Amino acid sequence: MTAAQAITPPVPPAPPAAPAPAARRLAAGTRLAWLHLRSRRVPAALLALALLGGALRAQLHWHLMSGGALAEQGPMVIEAGAAVLVAMTAHSPFGEAERAAGRWLPYLRLGAALALTGIAIGALQLGVTGASVPGGVLVLARNVIGIAGIGLLASPVTGGLLAWVPPLGYLGFAEYALSQAWRNPWTWPVRPPADRGAWICAVLVFAVGLAAVTVRGARTSLADNG
Amino acid sequence: MTAVALTQRTARFRPARALRLEIKHSAVVWVLPVLAALCYVNAYRTAAGYPPIWTVRASVITGANLVFFSVIAAGIAAWVATREGRRKTGDLLATTARAAWARQATVLAATAFWNVLAYLAGVAVIYIQTALQATWGGPPLWPVAVGVVGVAASCALGFTCGTLFPGRFTAPIVAVAVFAAWFAGVSAANSVNPNDVINLTSLKGAPALLVPAVGRPEDIEAGVYYHVPPDVSIAQVMVMGGVLLVMAGLLALLPAARVPGIRGLLPFAAGRRLTVVALAGIACGVAASATAFWMAGTGQYSLTTGWQIPALHDAADGQPVPYTPDCTGSAFTVCIHPAFAPYLGAMSAALQPAAAEIAGLPGAPVRAEMTMGYYALPAVAGTTAVYDYSPEYEEYGEASFWATPAMARTADWEQGMQQGFITWFVSGPAEQDSPAPTPAQQAVAIALLAKIGASVPPYPQFSQPGTQSGASSVSTTPGGSETQPAASAAQITAAATRLESLSSGARRAWLAANMAALRSGAITLAQLP
Repeated sequence: MTAAQAITPPVPPAPPAAPAPAARRLAAGTRLAWLHLRSRRVPAALLALALLGGALRAQLHWHLMSGGALAEQGPMVIEAGAAVLVAMTAHSPFGEAERAAGRWLPYLRLGAALALTGIAIGALQLGVTGASVPGGVLVLARNVIGIAGIGLLASPVTGGLLAWVPPLGYLGFAEYALSQAWRNPWTWPVRPPADRGAWICAVLVFAVGLAAVTVRGARTSLADNG
Repeated sequence: MTAVALTQRTARFRPARALRLEIKHSAVVWVLPVLAALCYVNAYRTAAGYPPIWTVRASVITGANLVFFSVIAAGIAAWVATREGRRKTGDLLATTARAAWARQATVLAATAFWNVLAYLAGVAVIYIQTALQATWGGPPLWPVAVGVVGVAASCALGFTCGTLFPGRFTAPIVAVAVFAAWFAGVSAANSVNPNDVINLTSLKGAPALLVPAVGRPEDIEAGVYYHVPPDVSIAQVMVMGGVLLVMAGLLALLPAARVPGIRGLLPFAAGRRLTVVALAGIACGVAASATAFWMAGTGQYSLTTGWQIPALHDAADGQPVPYTPDCTGSAFTVCIHPAFAPYLGAMSAALQPAAAEIAGLPGAPVRAEMTMGYYALPAVAGTTAVYDYSPEYEEYGEASFWATPAMARTADWEQGMQQGFITWFVSGPAEQDSPAPTPAQQAVAIALLAKIGASVPPYPQFSQPGTQSGASSVSTTPGGSETQPAASAAQITAAATRLESLSSGARRAWLAANMAALRSGAITLAQLP
């Protein structure tokens, strides 16, 4: 080997063709969404929603909560559980750092909350397929939407990890309203399926909660990492 | 004092100080407003709608109140149990000299302290309100014991779940699971309660009795004429106390509670004494719950004292409670049990005009007395000078002592009592054996009630749709051993109007002459003047 040969660098292999910008953006976006969902424990929430759907099915099949107002109160508890799961996925383990770095964060929050609410309704409806749930799918959907809205609305104040407390408090109130046959629209769990006022209240609460979570996110504390 | 002694003293574990610190910084404090709101809505308001009878009012504290306190207590305890994982203090705490289970037990105790304190505060509010209104008896304490043990057991259950499965969804899932479990138990418990008079005496107890029932209690007289035996409450305490012991034992045994303890991961590696104590606690808990479950299955229903469990029953609990009735009025005396003394004024205001209207007629009573028994019918009119009325029996007026004293002071309630009284007076044996008075008896009762300004009772003919236009029924009269012809509401009303339009003397004269025949069912609608 001559000296000239020794100092001549080898020709590097040609780089692979770069992916098209659109495909690259799509892959990055998918990865970003997936990481966002994982950080919010959405896969675990989906598993829990499936379990709740099964629980609702079991409750209706074996008449575990029947007789009087319990026939309505029982499904309401399961629906509240599903709604609470939606609200609790608002918690972020990253805190301020995530807020400062991610400009897509509000959209991710919005999409995650909307998608999970829809999945919650679908999972519960799937669980009661072939069975009769009081009020039908309309009441089921309204309860999930409204109670999830309460949880989302509470999460900027209580933090995502404690966002289950206000919805369960409202559930306790709704159980009393049901036993007392109250008719106010803001006691939507006790209203008929087609009650317009109840729908307006439930959707309004959900919209406000969704907006609050989208814009501000759940309150985070560096001490809490769930 | 030497330096060594000082060091030893400061190194000694002081659980009271640790507990005080945990209580001071407990997260349960932030949940107290929710608990207060739930207690107000579900317990206080419900209790305020019940008559001021201690046993009846106390039913709410083991009903909805216990359910909602248990739900929140279990959830918040699960949340608290995950604290070390959330805050990533495991490695830091692993270097402390005290085992993890002791630290966890302190946290659990602080959580249970706040929840039980909140529960007791709610009970105190309800009991103070009752004490201000009740006129007889005292606060039942066994329901309070049931509630306290129930809340503590829920805390232990939630805490153990939170320790076993630390995660963000543990707290709500535990809370919802406790909620659903309560409702499933309540559904089972309600199914064995005596709602059906026909099957009452054949009812047997069931393990579902271990779950406190939710909703209006079955018996307004519970604890009034007879002491309520604490049998069921004892069984409930045993079951929930058993759960508490099992959870505490599991917590001490769980590797999760020992990491980052000082002795390692294996259950038997953290000290033989602790392991033995924990296993003994679990065994005792299982034994207590299983025994209570078995005993509840042997329960039997008594018409006077409610559910009894033979193995726990004390015969002294079945003795009647002596009392002196409160009475008012001279010509017609109205007496009432002192527990219902707030109703005496309303009862007297209702019955005095009705008694004056029928005074002097054959079989007219001179006294009204409250007697025990939902299922015992009053003595037949005409054979007694005393009108017996029961606090449970909702007669034609549908007015009962389930109304609060304030509601009893309304015209509707008084008219209801008058309707029941006059219907009893004109019906005689027919009321005992027939679902409704005969048309003639109805017409007379309507006429007498109209004279004192009371409305028409909801007799079958008047309760059906379109009653005024001619709905009719056939009335069987056992006393007269014949079947009266059908009569519509309009025909009965017309006959009542004719009788009412007579002069007072003529009406009284006809009633005095025909009251016995009317009661026996021998008089038809057409025979009325």
